[in-house]
Amino acid sequence: MNDQAHNGAVVVWDVPVRVVHWSFVALLPGLWWSAETRQMNLHFTLGLIMLGLVVFRLIWGIVGSSTARFNRFVTGPGTILRYLKTSAKDAGQPKVGHNPLGALSVIALLGLLSVQVGLGLFAQDTDAVDSGPLNHLVSWDAATAASEAHEIVFKLLLAVIALHIAAILFYRIVRKNDLIRPMVSGRRTFSSIVAQPPMASWIKAATAAMIAAALALWISYGVPPWGAKFPWDQVDKAQDASPPDSYM
Amino acid sequence: MKKLHVIAASLMVLPAMTAFAADKHPAFKLRHHNFEIMGKAMKGIFDQFKKPAANLATIRANAAILSQSAKKVGGHFPKGTGPGAGVKTEALPAIWEKPAEFKAATDRLVNTAAGLQAASASGDMAKIQAAAGAVGGSCKGCHDSFRKPKG
Repeated sequence: MNDQAHNGAVVVWDVPVRVVHWSFVALLPGLWWSAETRQMNLHFTLGLIMLGLVVFRLIWGIVGSSTARFNRFVTGPGTILRYLKTSAKDAGQPKVGHNPLGALSVIALLGLLSVQVGLGLFAQDTDAVDSGPLNHLVSWDAATAASEAHEIVFKLLLAVIALHIAAILFYRIVRKNDLIRPMVSGRRTFSSIVAQPPMASWIKAATAAMIAAALALWISYGVPPWGAKFPWDQVDKAQDASPPDSYM
Repeated sequence: MKKLHVIAASLMVLPAMTAFAADKHPAFKLRHHNFEIMGKAMKGIFDQFKKPAANLATIRANAAILSQSAKKVGGHFPKGTGPGAGVKTEALPAIWEKPAEFKAATDRLVNTAAGLQAASASGDMAKIQAAAGAVGGSCKGCHDSFRKPKG
């Protein structure tokens, strides 16, 4: 990608941001449906993918492309208010990257997703037969609380998603400002020449993805060796050799 | 004055309402409590299987609790404590419609729980895991036929 912008068209969203975004869109209905129909193995698999994606997005928010970084778009209430006052006049001149209000949407959605996936790790069903990968590390009461919170946070998530979609429709219909197409293609045309925001390298993305995948996998195995045995060491044989009841 | 009346009236109604709630058949509360104890004991045992080193004492203690509680299940469903009794319950009418099958299911629970207790006394982890799996199977078998499926 060259640094000079042509006809005001630049890449605003890099491939990782777009892949993560649309993966969330695809995964959420699957997660809801698998929980609703009590296909817990499918729910755990999808949850594991979600965990990896959330971790990746958090890493990418620190080391990724400029439009993906939290410190580039998270602002204070003053900036948001100023944006609210002036954005109607500037409708034809959208911001490269998240606007101050849209940044709130990212923070709320990503924050709720992190909390939701975190709660799911400890949650259990009524019989504690199906339980998250870290459920065995907490008490029954803590796990029950996590399960209840898992349901509440899902409703909050739905509310914020509804708001997110409503905002996109508002920009599309009232402001004549298409936010969906750039999230698909990554590219966006501006009425004046704007600088191409710097994009992070593929190597960086691949490294972040590998770290996120490894972390998700490690958590799904119950954080061995402290929380569980390693998967290749599942046969329980230590007990007979050691003095009885020594572990606690 | 009117306000006072309302307060006085609600003060009189409130104890009456709680008395009404307490009037429900004790089996509802007893069995709910008992199932919760069994759920906790099952989690206590299965947690140990997942941990880096299983604690046999914890498994034994929970197996004993489970075996004790299992024996109570059969007596916790007297007639008139089904879905029609005005209390929210997940118990299906099948419990009272097919008493022989229900008895077989609760007997299976008692037997598998006793088996788990015996296995935990032996200290053989492979045996304990197999026995715990059998208890889990008896829970599931009964839930599938006699408990309202979750929506």
